[in-house]
Amino acid sequence: MKKRWTLSRIWEFLKLNPKIFAGLLLVGFFALMALLGQIWTPYSVTRMDSTSVSLAPGLQHLMGTDNFGRDVLSRVMNGLGITILVAAVTVMIGGLIGTVIGAITGYYGGIADAVIMRINDMLLSFPSVLMALLLISIFGPGTFNVILALGILFIPSFARMVRGEVIRFRDRDFVRNARLQGISDFRIIFVHILPNARISILTAAAIGFNNAVLAEASMSYLGLGVQPPTPSLGRMLFEAQNYLLNCPWYAVFPGVTIILVILGTALLSEGFKELS
Amino acid sequence: MSEMKEPLLRVNQLSVSFPDDDPYDGIEERDSVLSSISFELHDGEILGVVGESGSGKSMTALAVIRLLKKTARVDGGEILFDGRSLLTLSEEELCDLRGLGISMIFQEPMTSLNPVLRIGTQVAEALKLHQGKGNEALSDEQIHREVVRVLTEVGLPDPEGVCLMYPHELSGGMRQRVMIAAALITSPKLLIADEPTTALDVLTQAQILDLLLKIHEKTGVAILFISHDLHVIRRLCHRVLVMYHGEIVEEGETEKILDHPDHEYTKTLVARIPRVETNPGSDPVLSMDKVTIYYPPRNGSGSFFKKPALEAYVYNASLTLYENEILGIVGGSGSGKSTIGKVLSGLHGIYDGGIELFGQPLKEVLATNQRPQMVFQDPYSALNPARTIGWSLSETLRSHGVKSASERRRMALEMLSEVGLEKEIYERYPRELSGGQRQRVCIGQALLYDPKILIADEPVSALDVTVSSQVLELLLRLQKERNMSMIFISHDMNIVRSICHRVVVLEKGRIVEEGPCGEVFDNPSHPYTRQLIDAAMLG
Repeated sequence: MKKRWTLSRIWEFLKLNPKIFAGLLLVGFFALMALLGQIWTPYSVTRMDSTSVSLAPGLQHLMGTDNFGRDVLSRVMNGLGITILVAAVTVMIGGLIGTVIGAITGYYGGIADAVIMRINDMLLSFPSVLMALLLISIFGPGTFNVILALGILFIPSFARMVRGEVIRFRDRDFVRNARLQGISDFRIIFVHILPNARISILTAAAIGFNNAVLAEASMSYLGLGVQPPTPSLGRMLFEAQNYLLNCPWYAVFPGVTIILVILGTALLSEGFKELS
Repeated sequence: MSEMKEPLLRVNQLSVSFPDDDPYDGIEERDSVLSSISFELHDGEILGVVGESGSGKSMTALAVIRLLKKTARVDGGEILFDGRSLLTLSEEELCDLRGLGISMIFQEPMTSLNPVLRIGTQVAEALKLHQGKGNEALSDEQIHREVVRVLTEVGLPDPEGVCLMYPHELSGGMRQRVMIAAALITSPKLLIADEPTTALDVLTQAQILDLLLKIHEKTGVAILFISHDLHVIRRLCHRVLVMYHGEIVEEGETEKILDHPDHEYTKTLVARIPRVETNPGSDPVLSMDKVTIYYPPRNGSGSFFKKPALEAYVYNASLTLYENEILGIVGGSGSGKSTIGKVLSGLHGIYDGGIELFGQPLKEVLATNQRPQMVFQDPYSALNPARTIGWSLSETLRSHGVKSASERRRMALEMLSEVGLEKEIYERYPRELSGGQRQRVCIGQALLYDPKILIADEPVSALDVTVSSQVLELLLRLQKERNMSMIFISHDMNIVRSICHRVVVLEKGRIVEEGPCGEVFDNPSHPYTRQLIDAAMLG
């Protein structure tokens, strides 16, 4: 009797939610590109070629080449992977830890809640890029450290959102009833209450993913994130700034890719919001 | 009054529809909410409109004052007020509906008053807007005098003081009085009241009804009174319309319709509350001995570091529940009746005094499967919206140690059929169920472990009349089949009288009267009990 996600039901769902459909198409396309970019690219990602420096886009090089003669398309495909990896892991760290903190403080309330939420407010009141810079100056630059710094930075917003959701539900009669049945607090929080927040969490994760893509781009742009010669979209923008006038394609293609990925996740988060 | 006189309000063949809920199927359909309704309301008459939720009774009122949602469409018919067609009025003329002589009172006095404006300002507003359009301008002083006059008329003590207050400083009953004052200040010919007493507790409800009757006598204002409560309609209205699925199915003198209904639907509407037929045993299963229940105060007098002193909500309550007995606990809001239920079910644990169940202290029983189970008032809040009904039932069984998933499923399905639900409900989410179905699920959930004591806290007050009788029938049947004792907490004296063996009356946390239902209802010894019974309009 269980309702199954048959193909026709998925198709119905997507027709009813065009934003999610469009978002999935965009995100799916770039995810495939990124995956492909890890296995195969038209040209080598890092090898420089002095015979083909700064070529305009053409049949040979669909997105042109950069100042070292590297194929921009190959670097976008490969760099996209790093960017998505950084963003996804960041959101996972922030989302998981933030959800757990928010759920527990929201459910129990009290002094621990007050203290943790004030620390939360403190973290949220700093500009996030400044905080990230601070953390990276402690950890040192590098891909892993950027993930760590951004992940920590994302905890407060998730914690606050989940806490609000849990507070909304914790005094409902179904929670009271579960308590009366002697169900453990842990199970009440994570099995009874949290599923009610799933759409808010999904929405926040999609928004968080956006911010993480942008944050990774800005970190790498500042030279603190992914280290050369590994490409990332932000890194490529950073390197392209000196050549904006001579070979704009070097900046335009990574930039457009970032914009489209963000558009995709933004559509997803909008769509999720409409579900609730 | 001459026979030929044109009625004050004439609604003729009015039809209203909304667009179909599902905008994606590509077919433009419309859901009809009112289909060709016609009725008349004469000068100085009180006309009741009764029906269950969704029957179109509020829609009728909103159509008359043209407050329907933007998506609603009037498909045909006409509304004549005092000889003018309301449907053809321009936006501008419409704004001056109050000037035409129609006022409205809404159900929820909390949300229909603006929380940031003083009462005086809000009551005066209609008068200020309406003056200057044909009327001579009033000075601020005259307006203030008018405001004080209507506030006095609706029975508010210290009207000058009330003028300076904000809505949150008033009780629900006082707020509704303010709403009535604001409606009366323009001396309307027609007052539309949409469930004006539903959100209030019994005693306040009776006072507001008295007030409306008094005002009607004094000013002769015609009232279109919308309610789902037949007792209220009987008390107030000369004539009544019965609505069902957007149609008027019956119309006539109130007494005649309610005592001798013709239409099938009206018959179910006036259907009697089921009566308890079992006899209670003589062994006590639960006894409370001088129990005082405390709560930490809401806006605590304590500080961050100092725990605030406790406030008592129920004082020295002693009562006994016998085997197979249904014990009613009644009282107005704030009387502490739900508090007792919370303590007995284990939701609240701060109290003095002794409570014993089956001869053991309450705290010990609460840790076992013998603990009393609870049915809550609001079935919307009592089921987890993110989980299917089957999951919720199964989870209760799991918490009681039923390990096998297929066994849990079997037991849950069995329980669904016992409470009169189809087994398809197992896969459904709460939002897909009606209020009555949800309450059945909640009852089933409470009975999964065969409790000997069931505590029902206003289990039917969120339901429509017809559904409510069915749920009460279910409770009585289960009580009989399972030999349960039940504590039935309610504000509805009619229901308690009919389904309980004994009743305990609570006033402000103190038990003022206790006894078999027959005795207490026929010969109340405490004035508060008498007040409650009068308010419920029995007899």
